[in-house]
Amino acid sequence: MSLVKKNHASSGNADHRHLPRDRAGLLRQLQDASPDIRRWAALDLAAFPDTAEALCARLEQETGLPVREALLTTLIKIGGNAVVKGLMPLLRSEDATLRNEVIEALQQLPEAVSPYMETMLRDPDPDYRIFSINVLANLRHPQAPAWLQAVIERDADINVCASAVDVLAEVGGPETVPVLTGLPGRFDNDPFMQFCVQATIRRIQGHDA
Amino acid sequence: MKRVLVIDDATTVRLYYRQILEAQGFAVEEAGNGYEGLEKALAGQFDLYVVDVNMPKMDGYTLVRTIRQEPAICAGPVIMISTETQPQDANAAYLAGANLYLHKPVRPDTLMLYVRLLTGERGS
Repeated sequence: MSLVKKNHASSGNADHRHLPRDRAGLLRQLQDASPDIRRWAALDLAAFPDTAEALCARLEQETGLPVREALLTTLIKIGGNAVVKGLMPLLRSEDATLRNEVIEALQQLPEAVSPYMETMLRDPDPDYRIFSINVLANLRHPQAPAWLQAVIERDADINVCASAVDVLAEVGGPETVPVLTGLPGRFDNDPFMQFCVQATIRRIQGHDA
Repeated sequence: MKRVLVIDDATTVRLYYRQILEAQGFAVEEAGNGYEGLEKALAGQFDLYVVDVNMPKMDGYTLVRTIRQEPAICAGPVIMISTETQPQDANAAYLAGANLYLHKPVRPDTLMLYVRLLTGERGS
């Protein structure tokens, strides 16, 4: 019996690249039943930045992990306002894995995300505000500490403020300490908030982890 | 001494649970995401897992589902604690295999009540 080792990646590539690679063809293949065809279509659509909306729509329903990875790779490559506008609503998804993927994608688009951050942090849904704060954790944007301080000063939800405090411990400096000290009082000196603020001030001042 | 694995991406939240649990005589280990949590769960013997829902790399639901499929650790009790308060969030936690779903922030006495209940530890 002879054993033939299949090279799935290269054969898939060769097969699927015989299909039309124009914009319309790739958008059609994005809905194909074969995950391999969808994956290659998602990757090749990077050449067509105006397909961001269709890519985001596909991401919302896509269940194949390699296809999702390809969609996110292409969306990050395309970048810009259309991608951010397409990804933002996905933070409301019931799918926690998708939400995390979207958070990680948005973190890689700091300049495109920044015009929307103020709106995201004022969303009526506290969970959405927390996910937006999670985006800030690794956004590497110079305005991140100021956005977080504003949340700490105005937000009425204890979990939103606690999330902002936790991220501020990573991205803030000693100048943020005065904003933190008044926070427990806004929440009836809740023990969790008291602990968060004390621990964060110690972290910012470099006393412990 | 009973051992608890705390899995949450927020450092202050992990420190908060650690402080509460250690003050009551529990040994605590921490993980900052689901993957790290799974690695530590598989490497050590824990009497309880305290798991956040929204974490990078692997979310809490996926972690708990994976724990329930691993013969060596599947019997460990799990408390999921999240900011999400909708009934479907609790349902998702129980479907994943959690023993209990609590909302953040959790008061120390509430946490200890359920930790003792699930670990069979009377406490110090």
